[in-house]
This record gives sequence, structure tokens and C-alpha cells, in this order.
Amino acid sequence: MTQLSVPHLLGTQDLTLDDFNLIFETADNFKEIINRPIKKVPSLRDITIANIFFENSTRTRISFELAEKRLSADTINFSSSQSSVKKGETLLDTVNNILAMKVDMIVMRHASPGAPHFLSKHIDANIINAGDGTHEHPTQALLDSYSIRGKHNSFEGLKVAIIGDILHSRVALSNIFALKRLGAEVMVCGPNTLLPKFIGSLGVKVELDVFKALQWCDVANVLRIQLERQQIKYFPSLREYSLYYGINKSMLDRLDKEITIMHPGPINRGVELNSDVADSEHSIILDQVENGVAIRMAVLYLLAGARPEA
Amino acid sequence: MSILLKSAKILSPGSPHHNQKLNVFISDSGVIKSIGSTEPKATKVIESKNLMVSMGWFDMRANFNDPGYEHKEDLNSGLKAAAAGGFTSVVLLPNTNPCIETKNDVGYLMSKNQNSVTQIYPLGAVTKGCKGEDFTEILDMHAAGAVAFTDGENPIWNTDILLKTLQYLQKFDGLLMNRPEDTYLTAFGTMNEGITSTLLGLKGMPGLAEEIMVNRDIELLKYAGGRIHFSNISTAHALRQIVKAKKKGLNVTCDVAAHNLIFDDSVLSDYDTNYKVNPPLRNKRDVAALEKGLNSMNIDVIVTAHSPQDEESKKLEFDHADFGMLGLQTFFPTVLQKLNGMDISTLVEKFTTNPRKILKFPIPKIAEGEHADLTIFDPDVSWKYDAKSNYSKSSNSPMLGQTLTGKVLGVVNNGKSHFNSFV
Repeated sequence: MTQLSVPHLLGTQDLTLDDFNLIFETADNFKEIINRPIKKVPSLRDITIANIFFENSTRTRISFELAEKRLSADTINFSSSQSSVKKGETLLDTVNNILAMKVDMIVMRHASPGAPHFLSKHIDANIINAGDGTHEHPTQALLDSYSIRGKHNSFEGLKVAIIGDILHSRVALSNIFALKRLGAEVMVCGPNTLLPKFIGSLGVKVELDVFKALQWCDVANVLRIQLERQQIKYFPSLREYSLYYGINKSMLDRLDKEITIMHPGPINRGVELNSDVADSEHSIILDQVENGVAIRMAVLYLLAGARPEA
Repeated sequence: MSILLKSAKILSPGSPHHNQKLNVFISDSGVIKSIGSTEPKATKVIESKNLMVSMGWFDMRANFNDPGYEHKEDLNSGLKAAAAGGFTSVVLLPNTNPCIETKNDVGYLMSKNQNSVTQIYPLGAVTKGCKGEDFTEILDMHAAGAVAFTDGENPIWNTDILLKTLQYLQKFDGLLMNRPEDTYLTAFGTMNEGITSTLLGLKGMPGLAEEIMVNRDIELLKYAGGRIHFSNISTAHALRQIVKAKKKGLNVTCDVAAHNLIFDDSVLSDYDTNYKVNPPLRNKRDVAALEKGLNSMNIDVIVTAHSPQDEESKKLEFDHADFGMLGLQTFFPTVLQKLNGMDISTLVEKFTTNPRKILKFPIPKIAEGEHADLTIFDPDVSWKYDAKSNYSKSSNSPMLGQTLTGKVLGVVNNGKSHFNSFV
């Protein structure tokens, strides 16, 4: 198989096992290339990509931009922390204006769940979802599972705990879909108010005690508390959260095994993750960042390759 | 214009003509002149293979968005859509801008009635601006023609206001209509809370929000007395509580929107904003319970909940889009899907006799010498619902573009008539 089953990357929910394997194998090649002295390949020459970010982002935007540049694509960046609606222009108008300048692919982050799906029904560029509200963040889940694959080789029987604010997390949902498809066991852990009521129906275990989750898992993917996405109060204070849901070194020392610690960043140090864990040998947080570029190159390359004129 | 309905099956339970196929002749002045086998000469002759006629259909819940949002619908376009959908009476919600909260507002809505086949019956707001804070002049609006009182799309969240309204309305045995929703539990919600909302990453509105308020309102009714009608019931448990209250002899009735009977929340899987309604489309179990409630007579009324939204309010990201779906013209094909062996005249009662009884309206008769208030239809005829046949100013219906089965052929009322020419 040399092509993805989808024309857009809207979510890991839509990807087949073959898609995952193709993306991972393609990323292997690009990871090798970006560690060479000459890191650039001409694969996407003459392809123009617009990175449209309606929400603040540093690492995801930079990672995408770097991936695009390594592939020799032309890139333009559009950022607006406000949603376009507030400015008086609809999302569709904003994007159509950009497409009128002959753009081939759109990488979009947006605060509304389903915004890239909505767009895909109205425009004919390839769309990569760089995060849609509390829905999906597929490239993050791809790089997370790619990093797990790098460390543990196989997903069969592997236990992954996703810990933190599951309710507001697009990373959690995308990871759940990806890891389940790849054959891992998944647990979510957090205060009950931050767990969607129906999350169990996705075939994941639910745990309210963070230490029990650590005891169960091989990999702990620790999520950021998304205060900016919480429209109402879900827990009393950050202090209490860090005391009862934060992960520190002494907890890891009490385990009878070594577990892998991941975090999609940016870390609230001292809240969900103590520095003695984030910077420890258990952590593969910086590998995740490096793999992010390779994964995004793979996705861009595979989607561009499926373009009709390519 | 005189009209002859040729060999029309008359749906009129209690009448000697019920379920008989007869010729119905309506004079120029809108009076039923003869019912029988004769074929008087008429200007317009209506024939269809499975022609049926019932008393005029009555919609207990619609929005015409006038005044205030006339770009979505106005009284003229709303009345046209209502007549095309088979309705000779529509009850309009007070959620306009300004809200229907004075006798002048009530008078404005009724100003079109004289020249219209479909009659508008306004609902008066319970609170100013439908905000739930300060009482409107209910008695004055009642005198001007408001048929019942409600904050319409806005649930009455203030318990004390609801209690006092129930008490105040008893002077004229008035009806309070409330759409039960605890808005704290649904804050920022966009669809039913369930597996689909979890998969879509959308904030859910739990059925619990409706059920808690049904419970609250029933307790208030027990305490205060009066009459309450629950609008737009959507969950199994809400319905169960209403059935229990009815059995205890409380003055409780309820309606369900046609779209909540045929769609469940799985249709939202690709974020189609045309399915974004409030109360939201629920899960399959709830839909099945509503269907059962329909058959067992526990649901008194089916409404269109007609809620026009312009493209600017719908062609958006899902969470930015407004709630609402068109309902008037798709009503008949929609409810026909829920017939399930039920006698069609039993189904039709839910939008003819029952709402009139709840609102204490006279029940029109299909008999010689009576003024004709009739809806003429054929459940077997298909028609295309598209830009040409859609009379609303808005087009927010997931059924637009589809061929639908069950056609309203026309309506006669108020000495006037309308016949659908689209196919």
C-alpha cells in the first residue's frame, strides 16, 4: 500500500491499520533524512501549504512549518487567536480567500469541534486537522504512537494510561482511537468531572486514582490541564489538582516496574508533571517533539501524493 | 371558488361519515354544502387515488421570526409554508424581537388572520423579553387573544416565577407551556450527550437536564394547581414522569416535535448543522420510547417546532450554528413514518383534535352546513421538497432535496383555500 485511505487527515478515527503502518514507515524514512547533514528533500516542490491557526500554537505550528520546509513546500502562515466569526468573516470566507491564492493544502487549528470536517465539505484542498477544539489532534496521536512504537516496538498487550483533563483534550480522543486501532489497551484517568460520561463506551478503562493508573500502565501519557478551554469550573484549584493528580518521582520510585512518561506539551511544570519526572530517564517527551516533524512530513507527503494532479 | 373533493375518505371520529369515501362539496363562501354521492358542479375538483380529508391541522409550536428576524421568516412566508404543510392553525412562540409581551404584540400577529386561510394564534411571553425575570401583563394579553403562556424556546428557569405563573393563570384556567431544560446542565452544549457527542468531541446536553425540570414542574403543579403543557419532550424518562403525573390526575399534557420522532443523534456524525436542534436529537432508546408513547396515547400532540434559520446562522462550525429545523412542510411525510399500523385518524388527532382540546378551542366538524376547516391530503403521493416547493424564507432542513411520501394537497378555512401546485 502506498496511499492513505483518506483524502484529508481529519482524525485518527478515520484511519485504518494500514494507514497507520504506512505513515509510520514513511516517517521512518523521513526521520533518517532529517538527521542527515542535508535535511531537505524536493518531494513537495510546487505545493503550497497554508497553515491556518485560529488558536494559539507554538510547537504544533513550528513543527508543521518545519516539516513543510524540509519537504520543499511553499508555506504561508495565518494566525488569529480570535475565531474568524468574531471578526465578522466566516471560516469559509477566510479559507476561500486563502485558497483563491492557489493553495493546495490547508493545515488548520480551530476551536470548534468538526471545523475541518465542515471545511472539507465545502472546499477541495487537502485538509490536515491540527486540532479542532475538544475533538481530535491526529498528528499528535500519530507522533505519540510512533514514539511508543520507537520505545516498545509493539502495541500488542501494551498498556497506555492517558492521565489528566480528558474532557477538554483532543489529544486524548485521538490517542484513544489510534491506540485501540493499533492493538494497545487504554485507560483514562483524571478527576471524574474531567472524564466524559460516555468515555467507557470507547472501550477504555476508567480510573480515578492516578497512582493506580501508574501501577497498571506501561506508558503514561500525561495531559495538560486545559484551563483556557474550560468554560466553567471542573475542579476546585490547581493546587489540589497537583496534589492529587500530579505525578512526581517518588510515585514512580514506588512502582515495581519502569514506565514510560509522555506529555504532548507544553508542560505545566509542578501541576500535572514535576520536573523530576519530566526531565528523568523515564521521559520521552523530547523524542515526541523530534518524531513530530517526521510524522508531519510523512502525512503531508502521503496526502500530497494522493492529489489528482500529482 | 367552489370545491369538490371526489371520493375522499373522511377522517372525523364520532361523525357518521367517519372512514367513508364520499364526495365533499364546499361552496364559494367556504361552507360544506353536501357530503354524499352526488357530484355538484365545482370550480375546482380534487381527485387522488387515496384522497383523504380531515379537520384542519393545528400546529401548537412554530416560529415565524416576525418581528425582529424577518430575514429568516415573516408572517407572510410563514403562513404560506403553514398552508402548504396542511395547517389551518398555527400557534406562534413569543421568541421574536421584541418578544410577544404586550397586547399590541399579540394584535400584530393576529393582524394577518382576516385574509389568510391559516390562522395565527399567538402565545404570550410569561416574562419580559422571555428572560425569566419580570412578569408580563398576562391578563391583558389573554384578553387580546393570546392562547397560552410560555417563554417559548427559553425554559422558565426561575422556580418562583413558574409557581406564580401557575397561580396567576388560574383566573381564566389558562395554560402554561414550558420546554423543560435545566440550562445549567446544558450550558455550552450543542447536541445530546452520549456516545456520538463523545466521538465528535462536542459538549453534550444530557437528557437529565430535561428530566429534572419535568420533575420540578410536576411538583410545582401539585402544589399550585393549574394546567401545564410540556413542550418538545425528547427523552424516555421525561415521558415516564409525565405519564405518572397524568395517572395521578394532574392537569398535564405534552407534545413532541416531529423530527425528534424520526431522527436519533447518530445522524450528527458528520456535523450537519441542519440536525442541530433543541431539545437535541436523542439516542435510539429515547426515540423508541417516544414512538411507543405515540401509540399508547401518552403523547398528546405532535408539533412541527418550525424554526427557520438563515444560511448565515447554519453554514458554520457546529458550535457556532444556531439551533432549529424547518418543520411545517415536512411534517406530514415525517409523522407518516411513525404510523406503524396505527390508524391514520388516530395519528391525525394528535395535530387536530388534541391541541384544540388542550387550548380549549372549538372542534370543527365535517358536516353539511358547517364552515369548512379542512386539510386535504393523500398519504401515498410523493413529492419533491426543494427550493421550488419550499415556501419558507429559510432552507434549514436535512430533508431539502429529497422526494418525500405523503402529500398535503390543500387546505380550506376562513372562506379561503390553498392548493399545492408543486409535484
